[in-house]
Amino acid sequence: MAGMKTASGDYIDSSWELQVFVGEEDPEAESVTLRVTGESHIGGVLLKIVEKINRKQDWSDHAIWWEQKRQWLLQTHWTLDKYGILADARLFFGPQHRPVILRLPNRRALRLRASFSQPLFQAVAAICRLISIRHPEELSLLRAPEKKEKKKKDKEPEEEVYDLSKVVLAGGVAPALFRGMPAHFSDSAQTEACYHMLSRPQPPPDPLLLQRLPRPSSLSDKTQLHSRWLDSSRCLMQQGVKAGDVLWLRFKYYSFFDLDPKTDPVRLTQLYEQARWDLLLEEIDCTEEEMMVFAALQYHINKLSQSGEVGEPAGTDPGLDDLDAALSNLEVKLEGSAPTDVLDSLTTIPELKDHLRIFRPRKLTLKGYRQHWVVFKETTLSYYKNQDEAPGDPIQQLNLKGCEVVPDVNVSGQKFCIKLLVPSPEGMSEIYLRCQDEQQYAHWMAGCRLASKGRTMADSSYASEVQAILAFLSLQRTGGGGLGNHPQGPDASAEGLNPYGLVAPRFQRKFKAKQLTPRILEAHQNVAQLSLAEAQLRFIQAWQSLPDFGISYVMVRFKGSRKDEILGIANNRLIRIDLAVGDVVKTWRFSNMRQWNVNWDIRQVAIEFDEHINVAFSCVSASCRIVHEYIGGYIFLSTRERARGEELDEDLFLQLTGGHEAF
Amino acid sequence: MGESSEDIDQMFSTLLGEMDLLTQSLGVDTLPPPDPKPPRAEFNYSVGFKDLNESLNALEDQDLDALMADLVADISEAEQRTIQAQKESSQNQHHSASLQASNFSGAVPLDYGTNVAAIGISQYKEDLPPPPADPVLDLPLPPPPPDPVSQEEKEAQAKADKIKLALEKLKEAKVKKLVVKVHMNDNSTKSLMVDERQLARDVLDNLFEKTHCDCNVNWCLYEIYPELQIERFFEDHENVVEVLSDWTRDTENKVLFLEKEEKYAVFKNPQNFYLDNRGKKESKETSEKMNAKNKESLLEESFCGTSVIVPELEGALYLKEDGKKSWKRRYFLLRASGIYYVPKGKTKTSRDLACFIQFENVNIYYGTQHKMKYKAPTDYCFVLKHPQIQKESQYIKYLCCDDARTLNQWVMGIRIAKYGKTLYDNYQRAMAKAGLACRWTNLGTVNAAAPAQPAQLSTGPKTGTPQPNGQMPQAAHSVSAVLQEAQTHAETWKDKKSALGNHPQPGTPRAPQAPKSSLPPPPPMRRSSDTSGSPATTPKAKGTGGGGFLAPPIDFLPPPPPPPPPMDDLELPPPPPDFMEPPPDFVPPPPPSCAGPAGSELPPPPPPPPALAPDSARPPPAVAKRPPMPPKRHENPAPPGGAGGGEQDFMSDLMKALQKKRGNVS
Repeated sequence: MAGMKTASGDYIDSSWELQVFVGEEDPEAESVTLRVTGESHIGGVLLKIVEKINRKQDWSDHAIWWEQKRQWLLQTHWTLDKYGILADARLFFGPQHRPVILRLPNRRALRLRASFSQPLFQAVAAICRLISIRHPEELSLLRAPEKKEKKKKDKEPEEEVYDLSKVVLAGGVAPALFRGMPAHFSDSAQTEACYHMLSRPQPPPDPLLLQRLPRPSSLSDKTQLHSRWLDSSRCLMQQGVKAGDVLWLRFKYYSFFDLDPKTDPVRLTQLYEQARWDLLLEEIDCTEEEMMVFAALQYHINKLSQSGEVGEPAGTDPGLDDLDAALSNLEVKLEGSAPTDVLDSLTTIPELKDHLRIFRPRKLTLKGYRQHWVVFKETTLSYYKNQDEAPGDPIQQLNLKGCEVVPDVNVSGQKFCIKLLVPSPEGMSEIYLRCQDEQQYAHWMAGCRLASKGRTMADSSYASEVQAILAFLSLQRTGGGGLGNHPQGPDASAEGLNPYGLVAPRFQRKFKAKQLTPRILEAHQNVAQLSLAEAQLRFIQAWQSLPDFGISYVMVRFKGSRKDEILGIANNRLIRIDLAVGDVVKTWRFSNMRQWNVNWDIRQVAIEFDEHINVAFSCVSASCRIVHEYIGGYIFLSTRERARGEELDEDLFLQLTGGHEAF
Repeated sequence: MGESSEDIDQMFSTLLGEMDLLTQSLGVDTLPPPDPKPPRAEFNYSVGFKDLNESLNALEDQDLDALMADLVADISEAEQRTIQAQKESSQNQHHSASLQASNFSGAVPLDYGTNVAAIGISQYKEDLPPPPADPVLDLPLPPPPPDPVSQEEKEAQAKADKIKLALEKLKEAKVKKLVVKVHMNDNSTKSLMVDERQLARDVLDNLFEKTHCDCNVNWCLYEIYPELQIERFFEDHENVVEVLSDWTRDTENKVLFLEKEEKYAVFKNPQNFYLDNRGKKESKETSEKMNAKNKESLLEESFCGTSVIVPELEGALYLKEDGKKSWKRRYFLLRASGIYYVPKGKTKTSRDLACFIQFENVNIYYGTQHKMKYKAPTDYCFVLKHPQIQKESQYIKYLCCDDARTLNQWVMGIRIAKYGKTLYDNYQRAMAKAGLACRWTNLGTVNAAAPAQPAQLSTGPKTGTPQPNGQMPQAAHSVSAVLQEAQTHAETWKDKKSALGNHPQPGTPRAPQAPKSSLPPPPPMRRSSDTSGSPATTPKAKGTGGGGFLAPPIDFLPPPPPPPPPMDDLELPPPPPDFMEPPPDFVPPPPPSCAGPAGSELPPPPPPPPALAPDSARPPPAVAKRPPMPPKRHENPAPPGGAGGGEQDFMSDLMKALQKKRGNVS
């Protein structure tokens, strides 16, 4: 027992005084002074501290942080000597879990308690367990970028910060589901709202904000982001993160394992959000056509999530054709006496007949729209001079199967046209149908769309298609009707379609809103039947199909080269890219890689590939740790393919990504 | 002549009437009873006769046989199912079905047999004394189950069954069928009945079955547009009828069955597509040195992720300008969403890439000899067009590559972008098929049939070489203008003769395998074509799977010609008169039936094989009952033999087309 002294008050053992500050690293924190010897165990010291403080409190999360060595004293059976602690050590007795504000992939802020003492890899795993994202190894934390001096601070609206810091998760197993969400979210209305924020896509951003946010203008700009990744093998405390700091949570490794819409609502949503922001902020390039598809998907996803239609939409099974419908019908009426009417409904396919104005663009004609009697039956459109001639031969008959249907609509101008590009053996024939009003347009349009897919109006999706078109038109009237050349405020995007919130600023500059709207609308028709999860998945897939997908850029200087170049790190390869032109110079695949080494002193990464190809480079924009961790991380992720399972081989990860020896 | 084509119509209408009768017998008024008067329209309704009619244009005589065989198979299949549902009459019906099938199968002149069979069904259906039970045929049919359930339950069950069946039939009736003539790489052709549910994979499986080729993954269906000089593979998942229905009525397009390395090249050497082009100097080294494991991981990475990775392809290609003759070099780039290009430049300037085309509505084709046709810079051209476009049009995009390697990369890249993972699934299925085929060859299993289309297996086993089956003689006969064919034909007859001796031997040991087939109808079908057609093929097929079916018919076929089972013949005296009588009031068989009477009355170029002689002993009485008919039939073979295409004028639609084809051939 340390602290034995003589009557005169001299200490007779080799004990000394150890000062320990209580609380987080605050120089003015209260301190307790203990008498210890070198043989004192950390556990004993902890006990003494608590006794000294003499306050009733749960101290179980507290541990000692040694400031000079930047190290937690977590081994309670180790002695002070073993740690090498002397009287001059500045020790802090503080909580291991501290609140941080996480900036999620969907750009929302979430306060929660993160472990400051475990390696980041474990801390992220715990965070992900809390917000129910599977496969935490794909994510990591970044430091928030340093904020530039804000001139008009008061104008910044106060942002809502969701709070999960009170929620404690029973360790180990994945939390059970309760009321459609992990049980720990269903405690209060507040946490429930938090779960909805996590699992449901956010509305499109304000186009003005979008234009203001920084966007990379060159490859070297894209390298900036990657310099901010935190080390996976060290704890937050060691990396200088303080309680209350803002950290970004992002998918770091673009190799998404076993993405499952059913079990991964949060993961899917956050991934979708990250992809969406990638595209909106031009972190990744896409073409006009691709952007329209992305915009249409965003619009669709937003519509579904706003309407609360999170589950699978009912009755839109495309496989359910008229016959199947009749079959289920018939089975219901199995005991019924009159099967004939069922068969009637089975054989009669609804048709559309009306006066429409038709225009056929031809060379050397000045003729405009002309009124015709048009009959739309099954997938065939026939038109006659007038209604009386209908039983006879039509002027023309077009089978719309396989045709292209393009809406040409201007709600404010009361123009409802359908442009059809009908393939025929001779080529494509173009024809325009002009409808009088929205109702007529919606019905004919829906019919045309189904017919182009080879389905008739008897198809079960016809009614919903009509409704979708009407809904879209009304959106254009409210939101898009007054669309000018200037983007609108955030309130406009809530009800109407503001196309500027859905496309990258590059396209905002290129197109007027009223040009964008029909194009998005056109792309939307292909995705209108998707459920929320399907649409998100489709969005992610389209994002993954972009040629530049999943490449993290780092500025490096290759050995023997005099200029900086870009190293692209993807999940299967390294790419050497010319900084100025952006051309790919060389690609090396991980599958051919023998080994890689880091020389921490000269900050150089050396990689050996098959056939004695050696590459070495020093890292310029980011520390070579980050490059090393990226490579090791991807190697690690490729190993999990074989051993399927949720269990993570953390040691392997740290072995591949860590640089223990170097520290 | 005109009459003879009417004959076909008439026959079809009879067949249809028969199907209709079956439908009605279910007690559910599913279809309005077809009016027998306009046979075409009526057929159009239920079996898609319009399409048949269209495709008949491209038919030659033997095709009709195949068609009839398939039709009858369908009917017998339907009948079988009806039987299963109607328990009370199961025994009777069953036998009528088997009889019908065997009647048909036994008849040597195929058309004639079909005819008879069609009538046969309707008559047996009325009431037929139950013929002696046939143990072998009984096997595939579930015996009427004992009834532990109450009467009510039973009735309810029966009712439900009936309705189910009715709906199935409804679906069945809506199924469109097409007779497709497939050109083999040896210039021979085979005709297949393809229904609209069949994918290219199913058709390939059928063809494997028929040709006994090695079933490797390179085999593909290949469409050729002679007019546009373009061609492409059918992707295995494509619906064949859908593709073919885009062809025009008078099209010269052809479907080929051949081997193409390129079809799945990417899966054999993915590195050529995925690892090429970057770091140009090393490309050769890497592409040639890749071990199987790396290939596999490359494939897995490219095709098994959440989304398929499209090979990065970019570079200058020649583009034929819309409607002009000139070719301009432009910079093109392939992305998953489409092909992009720099509209006014030869080099890459990243941001002014414009969309050249998206793949949703276009197919990709190889252009052949476009150097000649369109003055292309090279012959390595590919073409993108909407599948429905069949003539030259400004909507067709022509592109030209510098070399074959680039061409293959682009075509494959576009296919990957267009079809995605499906392509890989197709490949894996093809691989599985190829692997299985190897084993089958060894085991002689018979269950190779694609389950949905038992009827299509009918034409019987054929070897990959121009090994004729029973229909060939007719074909050669009517197209006798083609001398060469006649020669091969004669040779094969010799084959048959020599083969006949050992005919039963290979089959008999495998006889028990026949009932293995879970689908009752196919066996009769096989029998029908096999026995009627070519006993000679049996020895050829003996090592292979199809051979298993050959023996059973001979052993137990009840009524018909095959001499081996005389016992059954004796036991069934009624059938012959039964099905001999109708012909007088029934119309004569269709034109291609020439081979039927040929056995007895015509002097056909090839000497009738001795084996067939006993078979034809039965038909003559029927012929004899209709004295006016034979002369007409004599005319049938005459035109092709003598006048070739000269007699089109007086022909019906069908015959015109037939003759036209012949004209083309000769």
